Amino acid sequence: MKESTISFYNKNYKKFLIIPALLIVISFAIIIHTYSSTGDFLHRDVSLTGGTTISIFSNISVDSLQQALEKNFSDVSTRALLDNSGKQTQIIIVTRESPETITPVIEQFLGHKLDPKNSSIEFTGSSLSKDFYQQLLIAVILAFFWMSAVVFIIFSKKFKIKFLAIVLNLLLGIFLGVFFLSLNVIISVVIFLAFVISLFYIYIKYSIPSFAVIICAFADILMTLAVIDLFGMQISGAGIVAFLMLIGYSVDTDIILTTRVLRRKQTSVNHEIFGSFKTGMTMTLTAIAAVAIALFFVYPFQTALNQIFIILLVGLFFDILNTWVTNTILIKWFAEHNGQSYS
Amino acid sequence: MAKVTLKIWILIAFVIFSLIAIFSIPPTFMQQGVLVKSVEQNSSLLEHGLKAGDIITSINNQKIKNITDYSIAMSIFSDNQTRKLEIKTKDKDIVDLFGPDVINQLTVDIIPKTRIKTGLDIQGGARALVTTQNQTITDSQLDDLIAISQQRLNLYGLSDVQLRKVSDLSGNKYMLVEIAGSNPSDLEGLIAQQGKFEAKIGNITVFSGGSKDITYVGRTGQDAGISECFDVASGAVCNFRFVIYLSEEAATRQADATANMSLNLSTGGKYLEKPLDLYLDEQLLDSLSIGADLKGKVATQIQISGSGSGLTQKEAYDTAKLNMKKLQTILVTGSLPFKLQIVKTDKISPVLGEQFTKAIMIGGLFAILGVSIIIFLRYRKIKISLALLLVSFSEVIIILGIAALIKWNLDLPSIAGIIATIGTGVDSQIMILDESRFKTESLKKRIENAIKIIFTAFATAAVSLIPLTGVLGFMGISAAGAGLLKGFAITTLIGITAGVFITRPAFADIIKQVGEE
Repeated sequence: MKESTISFYNKNYKKFLIIPALLIVISFAIIIHTYSSTGDFLHRDVSLTGGTTISIFSNISVDSLQQALEKNFSDVSTRALLDNSGKQTQIIIVTRESPETITPVIEQFLGHKLDPKNSSIEFTGSSLSKDFYQQLLIAVILAFFWMSAVVFIIFSKKFKIKFLAIVLNLLLGIFLGVFFLSLNVIISVVIFLAFVISLFYIYIKYSIPSFAVIICAFADILMTLAVIDLFGMQISGAGIVAFLMLIGYSVDTDIILTTRVLRRKQTSVNHEIFGSFKTGMTMTLTAIAAVAIALFFVYPFQTALNQIFIILLVGLFFDILNTWVTNTILIKWFAEHNGQSYS
Repeated sequence: MAKVTLKIWILIAFVIFSLIAIFSIPPTFMQQGVLVKSVEQNSSLLEHGLKAGDIITSINNQKIKNITDYSIAMSIFSDNQTRKLEIKTKDKDIVDLFGPDVINQLTVDIIPKTRIKTGLDIQGGARALVTTQNQTITDSQLDDLIAISQQRLNLYGLSDVQLRKVSDLSGNKYMLVEIAGSNPSDLEGLIAQQGKFEAKIGNITVFSGGSKDITYVGRTGQDAGISECFDVASGAVCNFRFVIYLSEEAATRQADATANMSLNLSTGGKYLEKPLDLYLDEQLLDSLSIGADLKGKVATQIQISGSGSGLTQKEAYDTAKLNMKKLQTILVTGSLPFKLQIVKTDKISPVLGEQFTKAIMIGGLFAILGVSIIIFLRYRKIKISLALLLVSFSEVIIILGIAALIKWNLDLPSIAGIIATIGTGVDSQIMILDESRFKTESLKKRIENAIKIIFTAFATAAVSLIPLTGVLGFMGISAAGAGLLKGFAITTLIGITAGVFITRPAFADIIKQVGEE
């Protein structure tokens, strides 16, 4: 690489933090906007709000079915599914009504009964779906904190502090599992924030590199969520699971980067960054290729896998940014601040 | 010559064991015959020792290779006569005279090619989550519910039914019903109906459902059937009837209730003044006129009737048969002491399952191929790409093998988990490849470094999945969503664990040798 580019980078790299910082702010804005307009951080599909999804294997006109249904129900939407060659294979009907109320109307329109040979029907009651949603959110929150704890335990040095982090995270688990949903909302939030603040205080004080990794994983999730919100994609339980997958995938590259920069002896920080960049990019690109190819083949079936793959793809793209801009700058800053040379 | 190290041997052993777990010995796809899916309770075949899971290889000395052979062999009953049957399975030889109803006592299917089972969301089927209405269900209520539902579904003739207790993060308890491969048209009626059956004369309950009052419910042959069908203005109606026997006690109650009853003169004195009203869950099902000659008599045999309607006679006939079957089931099993509600039902059509499975396999294949191409472009070494391809495949085989072994049903979340594992597996292998290229340290040391990073990555992934599995129940973290997404966590955990302990160390050894060449 050119000397001038390297020296420009070494002098100005901290300024590039503005890019992820801006994106984080924009993401927050989008998510808050979604929250204020829908009452939630994301658009939940009927499996998480309560309602019925009916898939009919038919090529009848979607518009006329929609019209017929609208006469009877206020909240119903229909859409056609096409295969990769553009042929209509299914009609999907989504409604808040129960299957018992809507199927007779559909059957009347079609002129035949709905049976397992021509349709699938999925129904989730509204109180159950609310529970599902809350539980999945708790699972994702806990997953994030435990992942953070593992990163901290690996990169920090003092045994006592590691032990404290483990204890705090176990307590956090018990709190989320037993008390979080049953206590008064304000008390719950206060206790939760107390956990968050004390944990992050420990992470920042005793291991800045692990805190940088945690910030990147958080930014990945946040930015992906913002894009998903922006496109109005409706999320099911499987979609939330995809965020769990994202937590697992995204820290891999950060761990490589951090490990290599921290353990280097004779080499320069930039050398290690560039080495990890080659490894990490190969990793992320193979993951993107695998997910994109798999998505192409399963897409026409419109299963839960589509959502999982799309969320992963978006997340992996943001992970490139967050690992090689956000995390890289933070770790370079940290390494140099600790008095280590660069060339 | 490349040396096969211990770690590589371990990988080979695991792959072989997994292949055996998937295909069994001898491989199921080479076996001929039909698989017995279910044998009806109290049937003569069951008494002869035939059971679900047996493989019928011949009937009356005709080889049975597939369902068509089976249907041809059983067509000897088409004249409704009793016949001699010789059924051979792998380890049994059943010879006896059987009536034509033997066909209904037995359901068979083709032998599955592998021992991998797919989930409801792929192969089709029905699933329901049931709980009590307006109150939290206790453990003992849940046990009762499962026992009675099990009995109802069995009587209904459904096989491949799984009923189990599930609880979720908020402490709610449910009965989870999963019926693989079939969608009973009235699942809700069977599992969520309290099934409180009462027969009343006036205000007096003379008998109710369950074995205490009803000693026998006729379900076949002369004892039950559709009695008549006729057209009405809105379509057609069919009537059914079946016989039940009352206990002495219940029959006496009925005799007492009718003892002082006067005759209904508008029918010419043929019947008693009040009918026998049949109620199901507090709704009037039917009113049976009581013959004048039964007045005050202890009669243990009673004919129950009802009807079904539809747009055509065929539809009405099917509905009537279904209603009859349901009522019979409820009369046998009695009622549940609480009201139920279904909070979730999924009825997935099996139509797309096969195509989808194919798409997933082709997609997976191309995904691994795509990854190998990227690896080849990056490292320019065919040996390395091949090693990576082989190790990735072996990871998939090991996951499938373990899934077959623990009889895990691979549903969509599980497949997402397998894909996640391939992804992290490839990631780890890239780490090994790149770490091994640092020339400043010894190859052994470099690979140790890589393994260390891989363990870190493994630990972060594992802890983030654990909350989903339900193993944290002791700290209040039950499997979210009643465990319906558990499959994802399970397959990923199997995959990444097999990855860090078996496949990736073996890959490291392979790379050491390629590196030393």
